[in-house]
Amino acid sequence: MTGQEDRREISFGDLLFVFLKIGTFALGGVYSMLSLFEKELVERKKWLTHDEFVESIAIGQMTPGAPIVNTGICIGYRLRKIKGAFATTIGQIFTGTVLSVILAAFYIKAKDNPMLSSVLKGVGASVVGLLLSVIYRMAKQSVRDYRTGLFAGAAFFCLALFKLNPIGLIIASGILGIIVFGRDRS
Amino acid sequence: MTLLALCWILIMVNALTIGGGYAMLPLLQKEIVDKHHWLTNQEFIDAIAVGQITPGPLTVMNAFIGYKLHGLIGAVLAVCSSYLPSIIIVTMVAKHYYAYRESTAVRSAFTGIKPAVIGLLAAVAISLGNASLVDAGTLAIALASFSIITFTKADPTFIILAAGIIGAIFF
Repeated sequence: MTGQEDRREISFGDLLFVFLKIGTFALGGVYSMLSLFEKELVERKKWLTHDEFVESIAIGQMTPGAPIVNTGICIGYRLRKIKGAFATTIGQIFTGTVLSVILAAFYIKAKDNPMLSSVLKGVGASVVGLLLSVIYRMAKQSVRDYRTGLFAGAAFFCLALFKLNPIGLIIASGILGIIVFGRDRS
Repeated sequence: MTLLALCWILIMVNALTIGGGYAMLPLLQKEIVDKHHWLTNQEFIDAIAVGQITPGPLTVMNAFIGYKLHGLIGAVLAVCSSYLPSIIIVTMVAKHYYAYRESTAVRSAFTGIKPAVIGLLAAVAISLGNASLVDAGTLAIALASFSIITFTKADPTFIILAAGIIGAIFF
């Protein structure tokens, strides 16, 4: 593997700083972050090979939580074990968290301001549009046949009509998934 | 107590959802809006908007929720509860990646969970739509946002900010 020599010199601070940079300048969510990851870690710093990078993304998507954070954790763990995992997580979320807190403080103070409620009326409508777009994109990817369609439909009705607990529904769909799809591949 | 309950909810939600930040919204809405009434649907939408327009993952919206409930301590605890499960799970999976990837149980469970999450998210979109699509103007913004984000490469962050400016001018 290339770069094995350099890896010993990667410190907690190095990792923290690089992921802070990635977490701060990656506006616009996951996709812009992935291309930044690749540029910074694979092409510029050569801390990872392309294959290791791709594998980290796969692990990020196969584990619960925010995939992009998980990809970072995986990369950090590879390079500096558990300390690295913390460095990449803190680096990635720091700026967004600080801004969220500032916005929350402002939001609580200005809540009754008519200007802010007009802005939020527009923002809220746009978020619903964004959600629909996310649903559309996810459905194109994971609803592939009548069985996966049934899973989606059943989950929808269980929550929308019967108000069942989504945590229970996710666990149930995992177990049903093992029963229904488990025989497909062996 | 509120704070402990929030931490527990965030740990559960983050440990159980596969499929990205948006996949967490149904679980969060159920607990935070429907069950505990810490936020209204309207405020929940605002939290999503904050998560989207800030850099980094959507899940930093949990810091917004934590701050709203319990100030700075709430925000810090919300962040810890959101990412500690990931750190534990991902490092374990990274160690045993090949066994994990080849596991039929894991793969078939995901094949079931992923479409289910979409159904759940659709139910959430409807309830949030009920709260925020109140007239022709808001409906038009939602439709325009959907079309632009789905069919062009436009960045959702700027679409949301633009919708805020339109709101300030017209509403």
